[in-house]
Amino acid sequence: MMKFEPKITIFHCINSFSESMLSHFDEIDHVDIKYIKLPCSGMTKDVYLLRAFEAGADAVIVMVCPEGKCRFVEGNIRAKKRIKRIKSLLDEIELDGERLSMFNLNPKDKDAAVKIIKDTLLKLKDLGPNPAV
Amino acid sequence: MIVGEQKPIAEIKESIAPYSKILILGCGTCVKTCFAGGEDEVAVLASALRLAFKKDGRKIEIEEKTIERQCEDEFIQEAAVAISRNDAVLSLACGAGVQDIARRFVKTTVLPGVNTTFIGILEKQGTFTEECLGCGDCKLAIFGGICPVTRCSKKLLNGPCGGSRDGKCEVNPDIDCAWQQIIDRLKALGQLDNLRKYIPPKNWRASHAGGPRKLVREDHVI
Repeated sequence: MMKFEPKITIFHCINSFSESMLSHFDEIDHVDIKYIKLPCSGMTKDVYLLRAFEAGADAVIVMVCPEGKCRFVEGNIRAKKRIKRIKSLLDEIELDGERLSMFNLNPKDKDAAVKIIKDTLLKLKDLGPNPAV
Repeated sequence: MIVGEQKPIAEIKESIAPYSKILILGCGTCVKTCFAGGEDEVAVLASALRLAFKKDGRKIEIEEKTIERQCEDEFIQEAAVAISRNDAVLSLACGAGVQDIARRFVKTTVLPGVNTTFIGILEKQGTFTEECLGCGDCKLAIFGGICPVTRCSKKLLNGPCGGSRDGKCEVNPDIDCAWQQIIDRLKALGQLDNLRKYIPPKNWRASHAGGPRKLVREDHVI
């Protein structure tokens, strides 16, 4: 049996997260992470999230600014609502909404960013690979 | 506008299951505005269905297209080539659009992807409310522009039922009492005397009770 190397797609607001925040994550070589930069998480469109799964992601993470701290006022609130909808759509097609998560992240909190990836990897151990690949 | 909502994915998946090449056809007017069948909804549905079928190990080709209106031949023609190269069309238009596509392409299976719900307005972003039943005999002039046929749960034409409380309907407290609104508005317009007129029982023959309706404008018929 082939070893499962998880693929994670991270959509992130440039004000909440940057790739360098994962620089001290030891296991970074054992996970395939694709980063999609957004000027604001309000740009997270429903179809982008689904297409990330079509492109092979086992999990999709959306990193957004803390509530009340969006530079564009309500971008992260909009993202939250869209993600909720797509999670329920993933449940409907039995792909499991748990594969999609959103986190409010402080831009300086590297430890929180690493914990998010570690928790996602743990979750993927239970969920297994994307069944639609 | 005509308001509709997309059918559950499970129902759509079952209806398109017999086909291997599907065109998801969006409509860029009413159902786009109510987030049921425009370009974005076509893209999301196509992606979700591709994932769902792939998960089941089934191969299906899904093409996406949105035209301005599915209820006018002029726009429908833009989809003719795409329709001809697919086994079936999943239309995200209202029921009128679905039927117009079926009428124009007699050998093509056309399936509905949207439940058409009502004629309404965008009350606020993301909220749509029913405002017109299409009864064929409009009396809005008497009622200050508020339709009791559509918005009064009991369709009363000669005054309130007496069951409303704090301006809300006794049938459902989420519904504003149409008669409270009619009275408030006629008061503001100084037209409360309108309510002294007796409104006879409604003639439903102008509505759907008389069968499917047709409007012919001779001045436009060549």
